[in-house]
Amino acid sequence: MIITLLRRNISKWQLGAYGVACLTGLSILLVSLCFYADLRSAQSTENASSDYIVLSKPVSVLSVIGGGTSTANSFSGAEIEDLKRQPWAKRVGEFTSADFNISASVEFAGRGLSTALFFESLPDEFIDIDLTDFRFEPSQGEIPVLVPRDYLALYNYGFAASRGMPQLSEEIIRQVPIQIAVYGNGHYDIFPARIAGLSSRLNTIAVPESFMSWANERYGKATSERKPSRLIVELSSPGDPAIAEWLEENDIESSDDQLISDRTIYLAGLAATVVGAIGAVIAALAVMILLLSLFLLVQKNSDKIRDLTLLGYTRRQVGKFYYRLVIIINSTVTIGAIAVALIVSRIWQDALSSFGATGNSYVLVIASAIIIMAIVTAISVMACSKMIKRASR
Amino acid sequence: MSLTSERLSRITFENVIPDVFTREDVGASQIWLRDFSFERGKHYLVEAASGSGKSSMCSFIYHNRNDYRGKISYDGRDARSLTADEVSGLRCQHIALLPQELRLFGELSAIDNVRLKNNLTGHFTEEDILGMFERLGIADRAERPASQLSIGQMQRVALIRALCQPFDFILLDEPVSHLDEANNLIAAQLVSETAARQNAGVIATSVGNHLLLPGKDTVHLKL
Repeated sequence: MIITLLRRNISKWQLGAYGVACLTGLSILLVSLCFYADLRSAQSTENASSDYIVLSKPVSVLSVIGGGTSTANSFSGAEIEDLKRQPWAKRVGEFTSADFNISASVEFAGRGLSTALFFESLPDEFIDIDLTDFRFEPSQGEIPVLVPRDYLALYNYGFAASRGMPQLSEEIIRQVPIQIAVYGNGHYDIFPARIAGLSSRLNTIAVPESFMSWANERYGKATSERKPSRLIVELSSPGDPAIAEWLEENDIESSDDQLISDRTIYLAGLAATVVGAIGAVIAALAVMILLLSLFLLVQKNSDKIRDLTLLGYTRRQVGKFYYRLVIIINSTVTIGAIAVALIVSRIWQDALSSFGATGNSYVLVIASAIIIMAIVTAISVMACSKMIKRASR
Repeated sequence: MSLTSERLSRITFENVIPDVFTREDVGASQIWLRDFSFERGKHYLVEAASGSGKSSMCSFIYHNRNDYRGKISYDGRDARSLTADEVSGLRCQHIALLPQELRLFGELSAIDNVRLKNNLTGHFTEEDILGMFERLGIADRAERPASQLSIGQMQRVALIRALCQPFDFILLDEPVSHLDEANNLIAAQLVSETAARQNAGVIATSVGNHLLLPGKDTVHLKL
């Protein structure tokens, strides 16, 4: 009977407008949230190397004239310290280059190949292959070498194809015996070597740091302090535009085009955030419509509310009608918005799975929709009970 | 005292005067600015000219308004200290009110207006209610929307509604102002019976047309 009494002044238009506006706002918010979450998961699964960049200084005319021994191309201690202080740099590793001469020869398919070579080393934590394969023991004398994965592609599709040499798989190339001649500082030694792995992170020929320090000691000129000319940086927030800014400011080049794709993801994420914010604003405005129409409804019914309390009805008994109304509308909106978000997110699920990422943001979407609407409902019910309190006086 | 369980036996006025009244306004009143108690089981007829604060008195007792100076207490419990839940308990269990302006819901039928109260208290059965409609001669109006009734009919519907609860006191603000003598007598009989069953107090106001309460001595008060 209370319902018959209080139902009279309900404006279907007002509540309908709230329902539509809130559904729109919440759907936009959830869709962008879902997109953002999926983007993040795509970013983290896309490529392990995306968290690393290799830095070097640009080769200028001056450094060419300087004959290559110039320190203009190396990083000073102060620069490295500055880099370590950047919030986006999690860890910084220095490349150590060989201070001696190297040549490598391979006996392969009946032909001998020989070439001058360079080595670099970097701290173990930046090596992206199994470290048990990547150790140098002076007693055993075998040097494990890490080669960029690109080199194998260059050989297979460039060199081997044009010279009529057999193409090699990753497995085979690990078996190929290599002779490395190392000389300098009055010493000359030949070591056996093997390719311990292919790296997609490092664009260099890397040997274990233990070998490098041992060999630089033995064969190196040891004249001056060696400064690194390349640095590897593990990023805490890939795609942060501050990275590109810092690089530009300090005139440093990044070897990694990964930054570009990171930046794309970053921008897409930013766009999702903006769209999400717009959704949030729409939803907030919708909540205002709800509060306003509840206020009008209570206002119109204030005589009835007063008379009901005069009969002995408690505010809670009177308010129950309004609370139930709010809860029914908001539950409908919540379910609708979740449905919209999940349906819309299918648009990019296929694209996403081709990156190998799984869009498992369903739980996030459902949970945040429920939490948001629970808060909205709580606010509305509290506001409503206040209005009823005022009306019943 | 807890207002929900025990019975209420005394409503006390101590030096009470409506905010809008001055000392000169109240003159020889037996209630305003006096120490006075309404006691359960007794009948009171409060006579007054218009504008002397009858409805205010009813509203103060019913805890509907508190724009007064002085103190009203229920068995010693200060009226101003009641919580909202205690007030609705007071209105469902202890004090019944027939307001002068009746306050029926026009869009509900006459009998639904009564049910609205009875649903809350569960005091009467459907037959009891129909019986009262019958007795007051408005059984044929029971299903009519309250807004379509005459004032005299509305007054009787509101009276039935006021009776639909257990009470220790019943406040009747000009309950028979639009009833003829025959209906006045029937209404008075019904009120008196219902009150007697619960040994309740009856407080009726009047500007001339008194509720014709039978038997028992009635305390006449001037407001």
